[in-house]
Amino acid sequence: MERLSRRSFVKIAGGAAGAAALAAAPPIARAAVGEEEAQPTHPKTRVPEEPLVAYVRNAERGEVTVTAGTTEHTYHDRALVKRLLRAAGRSGAGRGVG
Amino acid sequence: MSSHREAPAISQDPVADNADTYAFVSPDDPSTVTIITNYVPLEGPPGGPNFFEFGDDVLYSIYVDNDGDAKAEIEYQFRFRTTLQNEDTFLYNTGPITSLTDPNWNKRQLYSVSVVRSSGRDSDDPREGTVIAKNLACPPCNIGPASTPDYDSLAAAAVHSLPSGETVFAGQRNDGFFVDLGAIFDLGDLRPFQSLHLGGTLANMPGVDPLSSLNIHTIAIKVPIAMLTRDRSTPGDPASAKAVLGIWGGASRRKVQVRDGDTVRQSGPWVQVSRLGNPLFNEVIVPIGDKDRWNALDPINDNQFEKYVNQPELAKLLPALYPGVFPNLAGYAKNRADLHAILLTGIPSGVVPGFQNFTGPHPADMLRLNVAIPPTPAADANPIGLVAGDPAGFPNGRRVFDDVVAIELKAVAGATIPLVDPSFTPDGAAALVTDGTAPGPGRYQDTFPYLGTPHDGYDTPSS
Repeated sequence: MERLSRRSFVKIAGGAAGAAALAAAPPIARAAVGEEEAQPTHPKTRVPEEPLVAYVRNAERGEVTVTAGTTEHTYHDRALVKRLLRAAGRSGAGRGVG
Repeated sequence: MSSHREAPAISQDPVADNADTYAFVSPDDPSTVTIITNYVPLEGPPGGPNFFEFGDDVLYSIYVDNDGDAKAEIEYQFRFRTTLQNEDTFLYNTGPITSLTDPNWNKRQLYSVSVVRSSGRDSDDPREGTVIAKNLACPPCNIGPASTPDYDSLAAAAVHSLPSGETVFAGQRNDGFFVDLGAIFDLGDLRPFQSLHLGGTLANMPGVDPLSSLNIHTIAIKVPIAMLTRDRSTPGDPASAKAVLGIWGGASRRKVQVRDGDTVRQSGPWVQVSRLGNPLFNEVIVPIGDKDRWNALDPINDNQFEKYVNQPELAKLLPALYPGVFPNLAGYAKNRADLHAILLTGIPSGVVPGFQNFTGPHPADMLRLNVAIPPTPAADANPIGLVAGDPAGFPNGRRVFDDVVAIELKAVAGATIPLVDPSFTPDGAAALVTDGTAPGPGRYQDTFPYLGTPHDGYDTPSS
């Protein structure tokens, strides 16, 4: 059983087992979530066979919706949002159409 | 039509597009009800080499409300799985297909059937059903005489009787729906009346049905009535509330789709993307800005769309498109209680002698089938249904041959207003209006699944 920290969560969500989706986050929202540090966690959660997807629903409020299997849960986790935004920024997310 | 490409989003997702739903007491087995939901509208028969099929990533559902709460007490779920026998050929089949296990048949679909029974469900409630059958074979598409030389035997072999009591079929059929699509959407220029149309320049003529050479993908289930009613009885009294079933179909997709290399995977809960109860409801009643939302919601939410039934846009268009033909309709400003009853609540007792399919006051778009009314013998059946004195036809459920376009045109034109408002006199044209189409031979068959043999790709449309 693989241990799933936030760091590995982001890695998994962006890798072969899944994807991290970033909603359009305006610069103000990005600034609003910039102060908190990620807190290590050690949940004993089995990595799902289907993609595990994190969707930043509202960056300013720190809302992240996570889908796994046929379930979804929305969390308020500013630190996780911060890490996802940082990861998305490295991968060039935010480029839109038009 | 009746819900072929009816909404912006689902028009781009045909494998999940619920095009028609039918529900009727089986004419050859009247202790059962047959429910049919059709998908993949407007299939051109020659569409190979990847012929049409169901979506492996779609959850297809048939819902039954048996206690009048506009929520499903029973949901039948159908999930499909495509298999390839030979990845080294571009062909759908490498020789004649003579059985459902023929090694010449390369690309096949199998499916499972599950059932969920509970006291009132929404489409977004948890969806794990009890599997009642799996690895059931679909028939192939009807390719042509060289590939599918005895298509009817293949289709017959794909009718499966389940140990739990239901009979199911899933696969390609002849699309039984008939309509003059070209005329309807050319500003309602109905060919039988085009000399009266605002822009009409041609003589009156019969309608043209473009669906007469097209196929559809059908999910059909025949269920003993006693497995559907609230108290597991087979009602014999048409006046009994427990004799009325609310029925609709729906398709759902997973909330998230991930394209990863050459694979596509899903995550998250099932989200409804299409539904259909009464024919033409979303197509003609709901305005385009609300159609996608309507597809995503359940019938329990249809009070949001009640205003469109009470004051339908088409009832205002008819007098404008046919000047001087519908003066009484043009002057009728009241809410359309007749359409509200037909489409949203069912018809209560006392409106049509000996008939009711009322499910309660909550407005919800569902087919409403009174299972205590026996099927009308084929020789006496009238495709205009209840309006023409045939209580086994639409809007008492819907049979495959019911002329729902003509019925609903007449109703919207005012022919059914006197049922609830005797002070209104319909215009003379209201009882006559029609798109002028009729189903040709081969459209239907007398036995389950009741829709006819699909057109084959070799002979169609040349035959």
